[in-house]
Amino acid sequence: MTFKEIIDSPCGIRYCFDLLELQSGYARKYLLDSEMMTTAEEIEEAYASLERFTLLLEREPSLVQNLQFRLQGLRNISNTLVSLEEGSALEDIEFFEIKHLALLGDDVQQLFSKTEITDVWSNFDLDNIIRILDPDGLKIGTFYVYDSYSMELRKLRRELESDPDNEEVKDKLYNEEERIKRVLCNLLRPYSTELKKLLHSLAELDILISKAIQHKKESFTIPALGNSSSFEGLFHPEVKSILAQKGKLFQTLSFCYKSGEPGIIIGANMGGKTVALKSLCLCQYLFQFGFAVPALKAEMVPVENIVFCFGDEQDYQKGLSSFAAEMVRIDRMITLAESGAKTLAIIDEPARTTNPTEGSALVSSLLKILEECPNLSLILTTHYNVDSSARCWRVKGLVEEEGSDRLRMDYSLTESADNEVPHEALNIARKLGVSPKWLDAAAKILDT
Amino acid sequence: MPFIDEILKYRSVSIVGLEKNTGKTESLNYIISKLPTDYFSVAVTSIGLDGESLDQVTSTAKPEITIREGMFFGTSEKHYRERTILSELYDVSDVTTALGRVVTAKALQEGKVLLSGPSSGSALKRWMSSLNNFGIDLILVDGALSRLSTASPAISEAMVLSTGAAFSANIKDLVARTSFVVDLINLPLFTGKETEIEISSFSDLSTDLIRNHSVIGVEGALTNRLLQAVKKELPRGEKELVVNDFTRIFVTSDLYRSFIRRGGRISVRMKSKLIAICVNPVAPNGIVLDSDLLCDTLSAAIGLPVYDIVKNREKYDI
Repeated sequence: MTFKEIIDSPCGIRYCFDLLELQSGYARKYLLDSEMMTTAEEIEEAYASLERFTLLLEREPSLVQNLQFRLQGLRNISNTLVSLEEGSALEDIEFFEIKHLALLGDDVQQLFSKTEITDVWSNFDLDNIIRILDPDGLKIGTFYVYDSYSMELRKLRRELESDPDNEEVKDKLYNEEERIKRVLCNLLRPYSTELKKLLHSLAELDILISKAIQHKKESFTIPALGNSSSFEGLFHPEVKSILAQKGKLFQTLSFCYKSGEPGIIIGANMGGKTVALKSLCLCQYLFQFGFAVPALKAEMVPVENIVFCFGDEQDYQKGLSSFAAEMVRIDRMITLAESGAKTLAIIDEPARTTNPTEGSALVSSLLKILEECPNLSLILTTHYNVDSSARCWRVKGLVEEEGSDRLRMDYSLTESADNEVPHEALNIARKLGVSPKWLDAAAKILDT
Repeated sequence: MPFIDEILKYRSVSIVGLEKNTGKTESLNYIISKLPTDYFSVAVTSIGLDGESLDQVTSTAKPEITIREGMFFGTSEKHYRERTILSELYDVSDVTTALGRVVTAKALQEGKVLLSGPSSGSALKRWMSSLNNFGIDLILVDGALSRLSTASPAISEAMVLSTGAAFSANIKDLVARTSFVVDLINLPLFTGKETEIEISSFSDLSTDLIRNHSVIGVEGALTNRLLQAVKKELPRGEKELVVNDFTRIFVTSDLYRSFIRRGGRISVRMKSKLIAICVNPVAPNGIVLDSDLLCDTLSAAIGLPVYDIVKNREKYDI
């Protein structure tokens, strides 16, 4: 699974992607094309680098700024490098690109040579490449087929200068230039792998720096790798920023889950259940792509698959209603879970679009059959009373405000022994100012 | 050497033609040939494709752009690969055109090149700012086929306008139409502090709005409909329309003149400097106008010097 495939996931990861201060379009593309990490070793290594860059950012902010400035010049020259490797004839433009990349790499290496923090960059041997494309040692990022490449070239150019219409000299000059370009290609070809590595390293550098900046700026945390997942001070960055614009605070959450132990979240409408699910899903994606996560403290476990069933997923193109689309998606998740693959499944109100009798039966049975999958971490929200031994979390819901009799929503999640769903829908509707005539009539029906 | 000294005062100058074959490329070549490149660093590009040896629309012979040694130029990847002069590459930008990315190079010898630079105004602006690193004193922009947008003061500080028999084969008509464009270019700068209201399209403009305000800002284009609506309200009070710059005005000369005659005012937020007008008395269909008569009549009408670069090249050189 690549980043590109999940960028529009309803968990809101695009927001975090857009916050990154990437300096080059190539780094952006590189990140979008990157594969999700699924092993603890990969993620540990990625986080070790992120820690080092966060330290670098704290200790030497001006160095990081300089690096970012240099990285603005990073261009995607993969095609040129492929041509070089395959032995195609390169022209001035391609030589310029290669020289530009090598000089950029050299610049970055010079900058890193001054820092005391180790292991932030592994050096490339660029001297030969630069020497080939910069025969006069000017260290300027421009290129043409320099006079100093051959005596013959120099001689022919002089001749043509004094006799600009001499076709014979023109031909000779053309041939000599072509010959030199072929020689340059042959000289550079052995370095094509090195150059590719350099190109990738520079893109990775750009990505790491922007992840480190995000880590610091947004007060994210680097999670520890463990056997179960737990969060303290978990928040959803996009929702937090929307609330901040309105002068409101995001109430952070604490939550934990474990594979083989399904969890359900119940609670009043508008109690933040969906935002909680979105935050959990977002954290898992960020974790497996090596980002810091939006929490005060976190411990996490890598999985092979992340399934997020959320909201109205009607699929007109396949002719599926919202119920059908949801069923198909959950069915796919069951197959994944039963195959034994490590899976995190997060489902928002399954079967909510059908009648409550069948709906609650579907949810209870889903929890029952999935209890037997040891590699599945399942979290779902529901308004149905379900018959299950799953761990149950409850949104605190409406509480009386201190010092007044007004009600306010407490979004925190607490583990609860009984999974009886709350009956606060009418109270919340009343708080929204919905017609009392309607709500009173509803209350009357409930009383009888 | 007419108007070259004037050009040197600006950092960016666009050469625009009121019609194809009005001698725009000739004017550009003339300017390039006269610039003091030894101590003055010049970059030249064209918006869209220009400088092809045969005019693609009318198949008439068209002069290529001659670049002098030491000058920078911006062209597409394709035309850079096809060039015949020796030049040093300075930048391969991420601005792309139908013919590939725009590259910037410095000519190491004099010669002709095909210029096909950035194809939109915003891309052109980006390219122009990318030149900051190379210490350029003056950027010349060859505006493409009857597109005045490059002359927008948002892009270039000053302009040279070319007109001629290809625009109109009747001297009287040619003078009238050209002087209308000159009038628009010379519209006064808006001197007030701020406008009373800002409208972005005709639908914003209810009669009440026009009636109740005398200084009206126009965010987008000033069109005939809009001007007509404001004109109707002139008898009831003074009106001033404020547009961004003259390239946003799309009204007929008749309506414009009658609006002004009735006391209406139009002003601009940004103004370009019109340096000179060049004429080409020859049209691609063979019509040839009297060059001296054309220059004199036009010059008298607009109060600016008018040059026929091709015919009088030697005369100007003295």
